[in-house]
Amino acid sequence: METYVDAIGVDTEATTTTETTAKQNKKKLKVMVAMDESKNSFYALEWAVEHLRDVISAEPETDQAGGLLTLVHVHPTYLQYIYPSGGTASAMYAIDSVPESMKKAREESTTKLFTRSLEICRGKLVKTETMILEGDPKEMICQAVEQTHVDLLVVGSRGLGMIKRAFLGSVSDYCAQHAKCPILIVRPPRETSTSSSTKEHKSK
Amino acid sequence: MATGEEKPVMVVGVDESEQSTYALEWTLDRFFAPYAPNFPFKLIIVHAKPNAVSAVGLAGPGTAEVVPYVDADLKHTAVKVIEKAKALCLSKSVHGAMMEVFEGDARNILCEVVDKHHASLLVVGSHGYGAIKRAVLGSVSDYCAHHAHCSVMIVKKPKIKV
Repeated sequence: METYVDAIGVDTEATTTTETTAKQNKKKLKVMVAMDESKNSFYALEWAVEHLRDVISAEPETDQAGGLLTLVHVHPTYLQYIYPSGGTASAMYAIDSVPESMKKAREESTTKLFTRSLEICRGKLVKTETMILEGDPKEMICQAVEQTHVDLLVVGSRGLGMIKRAFLGSVSDYCAQHAKCPILIVRPPRETSTSSSTKEHKSK
Repeated sequence: MATGEEKPVMVVGVDESEQSTYALEWTLDRFFAPYAPNFPFKLIIVHAKPNAVSAVGLAGPGTAEVVPYVDADLKHTAVKVIEKAKALCLSKSVHGAMMEVFEGDARNILCEVVDKHHASLLVVGSHGYGAIKRAVLGSVSDYCAHHAHCSVMIVKKPKIKV
């Protein structure tokens, strides 16, 4: 039953007990990424997909199932619907009190947002799901985390200073304090580009 | 194949609290242990030993005689913390982790280490203080989340709800 082939093809002398625990621990992560239309959250998604690739993507060589990537977007209004991506969806509607034109405009922008996001996730060998929620972004994100039991929440950060944060509020701050799972805050890249891009390496 | 130099760097901040041990363990479990020996990140574990003078100063006006004892105790704690971290790494079969201890304020040290190694990710635990405790005691995870020049992952030990 143990058709466990080591990814690098090295013949490891591991005992069966360590192999089984390693296999169990190799379960890929369920990661949730909070999206809005801002540049920073797209950057956060790209960063997450790039750096977490090893811990969420499936490995076909070792037959390792991939984890789950959930993209969640919160509208600050009163409707709630959930779409699993991949086509065969059954959407659930609630009674809406929002005028039709506004609803349409919002749907369009959400579709655009998710299209862009799914482009970023394409080809990364991970099951991607989208989720649209309504309400106060900070609370809804924390609730979503609790309900779906994800292993990690990824949020972008606007990089606001302390005063702006006090007035404008910070979703990433709130989530860092209240989310029930570990949270990864992706900072926007520095403009003065001595940035820690993975393509650029200082030789030691 | 990727050589060692190309791996992104992950810095994990540890102190003597349970939460930070949990954070290190969680990180090792999810990001390192399953991938031995080809880890996706280069791991650096950092402990910030508080400065003895500032620690005594916080407690109230102390005399100069107390400082050496406090200092010795802090050094002892630092050694214990690093030993615990080493043991944890070994138990997860994670080799090649770099351990560093610095003296001073944890917030600044963590941010400096991130800069020095051009880390892509900083991992810290969180004491899970409420708003008032945070205001009084300060929160290293908060500070790092806003000032580090890389992405920050805050790992919380789940509270057991009664």
